[in-house]
Amino acid sequence: MTIRARTRAHVFWRCLFLQAAWNRRGMQNLGFAYAIEPALDALYADPAKREEALARHLGFFNCHPYMAAAILGGAIHHEELVAAGAEPGAVPLSYKATLQGPLAAVGDGFFWTALRPFFGAMAALGALVAGWPAVVAAVVLYNVVHFGLRLVLFRAGYQQGDAVVGLIAHLALPRMADRLRAAGVALCGATAAAVALRAGGGVLGAEQAAVLVVAAAAGAGYLALARGIPLFPAAYLAAVLGTIMAAVTGWDGRL
Amino acid sequence: MGYLLLGIVAGLAAVERKGFLQAMLSRPIALAPLTGLALGDLTGGLAVAAPLELLWLGAVNLGAALPVHEALGTVAVVGGAVLAGQALGTGVTPALCVLALLAGAPLALLGRRADRFVEVANERLALFAEEKLRHHHPHAAVRLNLAGLAMPFAIAALLAPAGALVASTLAVRLLQAAPGLDGPLRVGWWAFCGLACAAGARALRARRAGVIFSVSAAAALLVGMVLRVTP
Repeated sequence: MTIRARTRAHVFWRCLFLQAAWNRRGMQNLGFAYAIEPALDALYADPAKREEALARHLGFFNCHPYMAAAILGGAIHHEELVAAGAEPGAVPLSYKATLQGPLAAVGDGFFWTALRPFFGAMAALGALVAGWPAVVAAVVLYNVVHFGLRLVLFRAGYQQGDAVVGLIAHLALPRMADRLRAAGVALCGATAAAVALRAGGGVLGAEQAAVLVVAAAAGAGYLALARGIPLFPAAYLAAVLGTIMAAVTGWDGRL
Repeated sequence: MGYLLLGIVAGLAAVERKGFLQAMLSRPIALAPLTGLALGDLTGGLAVAAPLELLWLGAVNLGAALPVHEALGTVAVVGGAVLAGQALGTGVTPALCVLALLAGAPLALLGRRADRFVEVANERLALFAEEKLRHHHPHAAVRLNLAGLAMPFAIAALLAPAGALVASTLAVRLLQAAPGLDGPLRVGWWAFCGLACAAGARALRARRAGVIFSVSAAAALLVGMVLRVTP
């Protein structure tokens, strides 16, 4: 027995709420059960079997929210086999347990520490250079990639079950993440230059002074953060020192 | 009305940030202009967006670790700067940005504490769902998931306007009492922006990040100065 495309779409919509009730005991357990419920309703006509299936998906689950789409698709794939009597009820659980850790690591490494910061840095530079249209463009582009991958992973999980691992390996996300991180750092550097140019306002003299302030704060800040100084004190220190320095020298930032 | 809008924007951002979607709409780069727009000053919000985004570029939910609540901090900072600019009739200036930042940013730390509180409350929701399922109410059990969105919304909707109120009041009073501070505070804002760029570069944890950051900054600066570009 297979479930209809409309029901799968409903499950995909619900997987966007995966972390709505994130908790330290079951983590995304309630979110996963909420997401898969329409599929279980379609697969199990017997209320007792439906409740049994739902109970097994209310157990501990934690993964990267985007990558979890692959596991959700795969869990439906296995539940179809369970409902048809081709697999024991423990298989969807072992499928989830096996994949959640590795996919969480891949998702955290690619989406959270590479793709999103890259688009964040791109949007930050764009905001300074081209204004709000650049921010909108960056956010839209990020979501084309994000939703595209989320959808592909959900479909692949559903259609291929365990073989979804091959597709994820083929995507080579860790290698791409390294490149995105390096490109993101370059964008941060370019943003520092854009800040300095904007601060100077193209005025000779003010420009050099602004460059000096921004460069000193960026350079000293980078070294301080690299040595483990916490972010908040560093940020406060930069703002307060900059202000005090200007107040003491009588410089108002406009030479 | 402005504070009500701030509350709604902050509440929705808190929900989008973790419980629903996670489509970058609650990141400072998108949220700051949206907050500015809600208060009638898109440009003012945009002025704060880039440095806040880079400052909190590393604020991500890795596993069970809780990052600072960058959305809450953003709404408080932008709200404070825009409301102060409207009160003084100057619009958002660098001096107001830095004062709103100093007063409003700690809300991001308070938000992290609130997140811990929400997680404990959600644990009770999950236990309640298990109980509902034991009593053969499967639909009611899983729908409790959506109840988990209420608390982050409510907390952010209350804290963000309060933070903005404190930030704007302090900024207005300080600049009215010492108008000569406007210039030095402008320099303080530049220094903060430089630090924020460095924080962004550090957060990405790329190999040879220091070299890439320095070279790209110098190259972009050179190009900008030669072409006399003023972003």
